[in-house]
Amino acid sequence: MKLCILGFGAVGRGVAKVISMKKEEMKEKYGLDLKITAVTDTSGAAIYDEGLDPNLLLKIKEDTGKISNYPEYGISKISNMEVLHKVDFDCLIEVTPTDIENGEPAKSHILKAFNDKKDVVTSNKGPLALSFRELAESAKENNVQLKYEASVGGAMPILNFAHDTLPSCNIKSIFGILNGTTNYILSRMAKEGSSYEQILKESQEMGIAETNPAQDVEGTDAACKVVILANSIMNRDVTLKDVEIVGISKITQEAISLARNEGYLIKLIGEISEDTLEVSPRLVREGSPFAVDGTLNVATLKTDLAEDVTVVGKGAGSIETASAILSDIISIYKSKE
Amino acid sequence: MRLNLVLELLDIPGQLIDALEPIGRLGANIVTVIHQRDVKTERGTVPVQITIEGDKDTLDRVITTLENRNIQIMEVDGVLRKEKIRTILIGDIVDKDVKDALNRLNVFEGVKVVDFNLKMSDDPEKSASKIIIEADYGKRKDIMKRIKDVGISKGFLVINEV
Repeated sequence: MKLCILGFGAVGRGVAKVISMKKEEMKEKYGLDLKITAVTDTSGAAIYDEGLDPNLLLKIKEDTGKISNYPEYGISKISNMEVLHKVDFDCLIEVTPTDIENGEPAKSHILKAFNDKKDVVTSNKGPLALSFRELAESAKENNVQLKYEASVGGAMPILNFAHDTLPSCNIKSIFGILNGTTNYILSRMAKEGSSYEQILKESQEMGIAETNPAQDVEGTDAACKVVILANSIMNRDVTLKDVEIVGISKITQEAISLARNEGYLIKLIGEISEDTLEVSPRLVREGSPFAVDGTLNVATLKTDLAEDVTVVGKGAGSIETASAILSDIISIYKSKE
Repeated sequence: MRLNLVLELLDIPGQLIDALEPIGRLGANIVTVIHQRDVKTERGTVPVQITIEGDKDTLDRVITTLENRNIQIMEVDGVLRKEKIRTILIGDIVDKDVKDALNRLNVFEGVKVVDFNLKMSDDPEKSASKIIIEADYGKRKDIMKRIKDVGISKGFLVINEV
């Protein structure tokens, strides 16, 4: 199976790394021979139809910062669209930076791949949160697959879990902690009694929060995931503007301490239920499934037959997210056997 | 002694058996069971009236066991059971008039504010108020929405239970 990886940030590099780690295992276990035929970043691309060396890709990126410096097969100043046009591949791995204004350029990459009858695996929330129906319909029309487990909850299995493991059940509602950064900040505020501003600053220094943390702390990232879950699992037709969003930037130590006296914690919770689509800080009981610490994500699916089912997992991280992408690649491969 | 219970069951097969099983097992007598599937609550659940007989310890154990099995008990001997709903509001309590917010919650039928706690901050906007409300059983979702509406209309950040 030939892969074209667009974007070589944390997730793209994670994908190269897990492929390098698991290449032999994939062959033995599933008879799946993975080849990376193209990788792109802002500098250009590396393209080789017989397969690029994942370790060399990682080394070149780390040493020089530019994938176009890949020996012999590096090309500078080539656009992603040109790469898609030119390269021989079976499955597009779309991991370019997320844009939540219009979902581009990822959306165009995905649609182009569909039109060329290629499958797509992505972690990109932007196009999924803004144009879910359009993408799903295009995949269907072209008779190809779109998989996006990594877009919600990183390594926490939820989308494929609901579709493939709980197909007997109707999912009535989903409640979850869907953003690792805010959960980390709120957990530390509860443990240490420090202020929001102080913990945010430290989280930025540690690389857990981004320099511009707005998407995380104002709840937009979690809201994107709410939209993806609602569309994918609960068969709604909603976009980001349908979600009521309140972030965590106004949560004070006073509120956390009052909650603790009652045996409660404050967590940023995404809710998808019959009449509600929202992201907001909520009180959760200490010792309940939602009382998870650090960057963990958790989600409880309320079902008609199996009652409550809860999943927990690492919500971010390069290798963890790449594990979900690799699982999607394997599932596409298996479906074609 | 006899005890009249009203249980609230989901309208799916096996629910009534699940509720009755521990009663017999713990040694209480079932005197009557009134189960009308076509009479439903506003939440789409089925109320089941049960009268059981036994000594006080046995009956207490039955109630605890039913609760542990997440079987909702709406009434005990004609008295509606209450549930507690907790909320935290963040914001300036004087400026935004938390007292008025409490009054507006108290006027809702079946709702009573039973506890109120404050944690003041040097910056009044960062102050937090904890409100505990007692409400008739089964009204949680409706009341949480009302708390949110009142809180937001007063300019507070509302943190409801999940």
